[in-house]
Amino acid sequence: MLCINEGISMKDFITGNHAVAHAVKLCRTPLIAAYPITPQTAIYEKLSEWEASGVLKGIMMRTESEHSAMASCIAASLTGVRTFTATSSQGIALMHEMLHFAAGCRAPVVMANVNRLLAAPWGFWADQLDSLSQRDTGWIQFYCENGQEALDTVIQAYKIAEQVYLPALIALEAFFVSHFMEPVDIPEQEQVDRFLPPIDLPHKFDIDKPGFLVPVVSSELYRKYKYMAQASMDSVKEIAVQVDQEFKKDFGRGYGIIEPVMLEDAEVVIVTAGSITSTARLAIKDLRKQGNKIGLLKLRLFRPFPAEAAQIALKGKKKIAVIDRNISLGSGGIFCQELRAALIHSSDRPLTYSYIAGVGGTDVTPEVIQKIALEVMNRVDPFDQPIWVMEEH
Amino acid sequence: MKITVDPSSELVIPISYGSTEVIETGKWGFQKPHTAFMTAPCQEACPAGIHIPQFLYLTQEKMYDEALFTILRENPLPGVCGRVCFHPCEASCNRAQYDESVSIHAMERFVSDVTSNQIQNIQLHSSRNSKKVAVVGAGPAGLSCAYFLSLLGYHTTIFEAQKEPGGVMRWGIPEYRLPKSILRKEIQRILSLPIEMRTGVRVGKDILFDELDPFDAIFLSPGAGMKAPLFMKGGDSERVWKGGEFLERINSKEKINLGKETIVIGGGNTAMDVARSALRLGSKVTIAYRRTRNEMPAIPDEIVEAEGEGVRFEFLVQPVKINMTKKKRGAVTFQRMKLTSPDQGNRPKPIPVKGDFLTLETDSLITAVGELVNLSWIPKKLIKDDLIEPGSTPKIFAGGDAVAQPRTIVTAIASGKRAAISIDFFLRGDDDEEDLSKISVGGKGSLSMEAYLQGRDSGEWPEKKEVVSYPQINTLYFEPSRRVRMRKRQRNKILKGFSEVNLGYNTKEANFSASRCFSCGTCNYCYNCYFFCPEGVISLNPLDRTRVVDYLHCKGCGTCAKACPRSVVVMKEVG
Repeated sequence: MLCINEGISMKDFITGNHAVAHAVKLCRTPLIAAYPITPQTAIYEKLSEWEASGVLKGIMMRTESEHSAMASCIAASLTGVRTFTATSSQGIALMHEMLHFAAGCRAPVVMANVNRLLAAPWGFWADQLDSLSQRDTGWIQFYCENGQEALDTVIQAYKIAEQVYLPALIALEAFFVSHFMEPVDIPEQEQVDRFLPPIDLPHKFDIDKPGFLVPVVSSELYRKYKYMAQASMDSVKEIAVQVDQEFKKDFGRGYGIIEPVMLEDAEVVIVTAGSITSTARLAIKDLRKQGNKIGLLKLRLFRPFPAEAAQIALKGKKKIAVIDRNISLGSGGIFCQELRAALIHSSDRPLTYSYIAGVGGTDVTPEVIQKIALEVMNRVDPFDQPIWVMEEH
Repeated sequence: MKITVDPSSELVIPISYGSTEVIETGKWGFQKPHTAFMTAPCQEACPAGIHIPQFLYLTQEKMYDEALFTILRENPLPGVCGRVCFHPCEASCNRAQYDESVSIHAMERFVSDVTSNQIQNIQLHSSRNSKKVAVVGAGPAGLSCAYFLSLLGYHTTIFEAQKEPGGVMRWGIPEYRLPKSILRKEIQRILSLPIEMRTGVRVGKDILFDELDPFDAIFLSPGAGMKAPLFMKGGDSERVWKGGEFLERINSKEKINLGKETIVIGGGNTAMDVARSALRLGSKVTIAYRRTRNEMPAIPDEIVEAEGEGVRFEFLVQPVKINMTKKKRGAVTFQRMKLTSPDQGNRPKPIPVKGDFLTLETDSLITAVGELVNLSWIPKKLIKDDLIEPGSTPKIFAGGDAVAQPRTIVTAIASGKRAAISIDFFLRGDDDEEDLSKISVGGKGSLSMEAYLQGRDSGEWPEKKEVVSYPQINTLYFEPSRRVRMRKRQRNKILKGFSEVNLGYNTKEANFSASRCFSCGTCNYCYNCYFFCPEGVISLNPLDRTRVVDYLHCKGCGTCAKACPRSVVVMKEVG
């Protein structure tokens, strides 16, 4: 492995997929159940390789489908062990039924989803629709900007999920994050062991007191457990912030559940999630140099949606452009929908525009982002429809 | 039972510590599995209708007494049949289409041998009655008839002309195939029932036929012991032995000197018995038969064994002149034959090859070309075409060699059973012979005494069972395997006396052979249904022979029926 000497810490030059695999290993996950799918396969392969060589002290279950992979993770999780799976696109779509079961069983499974477009037509390219369309399954969802963040977020996700007994999904975009090689700081095992306590589930299977999970319940009981789950999900916003701060203390890196960039005096704010954020950071610097009061807001936590944090961060802003690498047909960009809903009760709320860019893995260059920003600066009227950004031919 | 979910629980999910049995999922299904025992093809082919899969299952479970009882329900002579039966069961065995048929014949012998150290109690039918039946002839048919009549509650008297019972089993079959000790034990077991055995009483000579009249019913089963004359020049010479007579003298332990060479004429089992016995008397033996090996009526195993012991064969020859004078070495002249189109018996008919003769010198000549039943003592009105046909005389019944059927031990036993049932019909004043169809085992004429006993008093006849065909067997569950060849006495010792040639199976061989049975149509507790049932609603208990399906929770998916390798589980619609 190529190591780059950057200051005092040695970094490894690895892909986002391998960064995720490293995190799973560092979390001492004893049960991994997965099914390979491009562009996630490198995670699966790396973990398999480590299992074979004995580096990974756990079991790799090679299941016959993603549906079974998730079922296995749920069952294993309910015996009180840490579990992991990785998937993408059609895989997570096939898992859909089991995603509800995982949340309903309050199983803190952690999953890496490499965002790939959903067929048809067929393709392998980056698109966030696969995980965003699972937003109502009761999973915590994080969207990561790069490999380092993916690694760190897996570790954080276990710590959060195991406190609230809800499953967590880490999203990283196909190729832009999954396959890009970047210098990544891989923490020491002892550091991670100190940070991440052993899992302890109150509702795990007890062979001395056999019970049956997922029994038929009355309407009132069903409602009660949904209510309890919502309360737990809501608490994630606070817990995720705490965990991120602890992480920063231990590892020197923190991300927040959202990240405001040059927002203080900004009039127009670009909102992004995932890899487009890193491009936007560059675009905004240039726009600032040109004298434009442009800021950036990165959304990292998507479920639960950090509404209060967003309201505070965007207070007093005139206009917002949300860039979505996804499209909910008949509505618009999904991050934009969520943000609009979050801001609805804010006084003096900004005009919020939905830009669709990067769908199907198309490139979102700094120029594209600058073009969006300048266009929004000139807009004066509200506009409900999504605005597609296409290359000019 | 209630689902108990504690709503005040601090847990984040509901956990039931009760049972989901409270939900009667069985009500969702429209079909339910039933165990429907079917008839195995071996069982159908067995003239005695023995429940073969059942006795093999019990043998495999080492429940030897139960296995023996299973056989004894349909056949009183397993030790005999396990040695000398022509075992049509094996030819019909479904496993023959897969690899090799199950060694049913050898297994019957094993069950008899492994249990024969003590006389088994035979379960008697509870209601005895005062009706009396006479049986004439203590061969397999007569013994069988008396045995089954006893089970049905009748008192039987057997009249036997010879000094010992057994008929052909005692006087015809040589010791090396059927040891007398085995036969004696089996007869002793039969006679432990309320049966009176009067040996040395020849009906028509020692008592008159009319003296049988006080009996409520009479069963006639004379054996084919009468010498059939050879209609040819020299055929009546005193030095020409008749097969039956020869065997009878062998079986009486008479000393016989045949000289250096013997010719045996015939191709049936008697010819094989004669030839192999002659070998044991130190003679070289040639069997002369007018057709070819393929047409020989003898059991194929017997032909192979005879050949293996050194018997020579001369095929397509018919004797035309016998020259056996008292002191000289004799000679037999044969006409060479060839085969033409099949005769009425569907066998190719031999015709002479004009001018082609063969003369063989010999010291002895034994003919084994068919024997007749002596019917001279029986009233003429009961006889038709040299067979007994009681016709309009209702109280008289017949079986064995005296009726139209193959002359084998097991068919004789079957005819005795059939007659016992017919006598029961007659004496109970039930002339509805259609009831016989209710107890038939498959469609080849075998009857089940077990079914008869079950239906006779209760009036509830068992349901007619289908015969399991090979495609109904799920062969994926069976590993291919070979039959166990039975061990034989060492070849150099075989011909030194009349010791039994075949040595039987040991326990290990028997257990393996029993395990090869597909158990067509009979549950042998393989537990496939139990393991495959997705609802876990099947309970099996081989000890008390119970199979229970919890119908309240069986959704009727039919997995058990698909997983049953032997076509025992069938799905039936509800209502």
